[in-house]
Amino acid sequence: MTDESQPSAFEGIEGEGTEIDASSARMPEGIEKTHPSIDPLGARFGDAILRHEVSAGDEHIVYVEAERSLEILEWLKDDPDQSFNYLSDVTAVDYGGDRPIQVVYQLYSIPFRRALRIKVELPVEALEIDSVVSLWQSANWLEREVYDLFGVRFRNHPDLRRILMPPNYAEGHPLRKDFPLRGRFSRAEQTRRALEMDADDYYVEAQLGPGREPQLVPWQELGGEPVKKREPDAESGDGTKEEGP
Amino acid sequence: MSDSSIEKAGSGLPGGIFGSGTPTFLTTKVDFVINWARRNSLWPMPFGTACCAIEMMASAATKNDLARFGMERMSFSPRQADVLICAGRVPYKLAPVLRRIWDQMPQPKWSVSMGACASSGGVFDAYSMVQGIDTIIPVDVYVPGCPPRPEGLIYGLMMIQEKIRGETLGRHSEHRAESPDEVGRPHADEFKVAALSGPFGNSTRQNRTSGLVPASRRERPGDRLP
Repeated sequence: MTDESQPSAFEGIEGEGTEIDASSARMPEGIEKTHPSIDPLGARFGDAILRHEVSAGDEHIVYVEAERSLEILEWLKDDPDQSFNYLSDVTAVDYGGDRPIQVVYQLYSIPFRRALRIKVELPVEALEIDSVVSLWQSANWLEREVYDLFGVRFRNHPDLRRILMPPNYAEGHPLRKDFPLRGRFSRAEQTRRALEMDADDYYVEAQLGPGREPQLVPWQELGGEPVKKREPDAESGDGTKEEGP
Repeated sequence: MSDSSIEKAGSGLPGGIFGSGTPTFLTTKVDFVINWARRNSLWPMPFGTACCAIEMMASAATKNDLARFGMERMSFSPRQADVLICAGRVPYKLAPVLRRIWDQMPQPKWSVSMGACASSGGVFDAYSMVQGIDTIIPVDVYVPGCPPRPEGLIYGLMMIQEKIRGETLGRHSEHRAESPDEVGRPHADEFKVAALSGPFGNSTRQNRTSGLVPASRRERPGDRLP
């Protein structure tokens, strides 16, 4: 929108009795056309900064090398002139056709009121990147989501497991471009697998604190083991059915 | 109890059907009485997952007031519910929950599949969606619509009342009984479920078994190199 050759979206729309000033629809004056973090990044990390793009007028995107992404993000968070202390999103994009999958970090600096988008390109054969949970706690579930839906493995993530799809999901990572829309299994198999899930397999009763009522907690979060299913009570024989091996 | 105590005070007239000289009993059919009681106190178990649930709430609220028809209160415990209203789409992750709630409801029980998504998966012919809750639980009434209006849901529930009216105790155990083996199992058999997804549906790149149709790699011109 800052490009003067682009026609304004409001051109050609004439309301009755209202004059629409085309310039008022554009970006206001004084918008940042350059980003104060780009040059320091290039000066400090050199070749690890691959390229810089501006999207939608003022959204600055920096592509960085996968090997040094944690180091760069740590510097962006801790350097007093950057202080990107808020990680608003971690997501990923798959463009298909064997092109690399992009992991996207959306950063925001609360003291400087600046946003910056960091992208890391990972080849489909080697989807591994350092986790940033040690920097921002908010990355925990976001990285789990990226792992669940795209299959990107985050090194040193404290608890890397599926978050949206069921724990027994075995069809892969649904948001990948090569994933068929209806999944890999037949509908019958999907229904069978879904109903095979039992809450007892994934939850244990635990007391989360002193004085609290016991409640059901996923055993993975307690760092425990799956509970063994109750053996059918031979004496009562009340028809409780046991499944599984 | 003496007659004088039932007489209206001072009037000298007998006090209604319990009074002296009038019958003190009614003759009717057991089926009729039981069905009358059942159909006029249907407590719904709301299973609202999407926008249909908004219409279900509207049905229970002031203007439409489901309580007029005997759905006196939404029963948020399956143990006290008579009719399950599944309002909204059900993903596979929720399927065991739906099945478990249905299994927890006491007999006799009925169920309403409200809206296109609950009845057939709707537009969501995707990897995560149950293609109709009748693959999970038995369904008595399907209410079409996206979402159905409250009138539609009320009509569906009144159809359940009509269904109850025609039930008899003799046949009731027959068509409502579920064997313990069925608990937690899919309701529809494998072949029925497999036939749910059409050969192509909304995707021209998939065949019936959900495999990708082989295609050349650079087929999508809309893809843009970043």
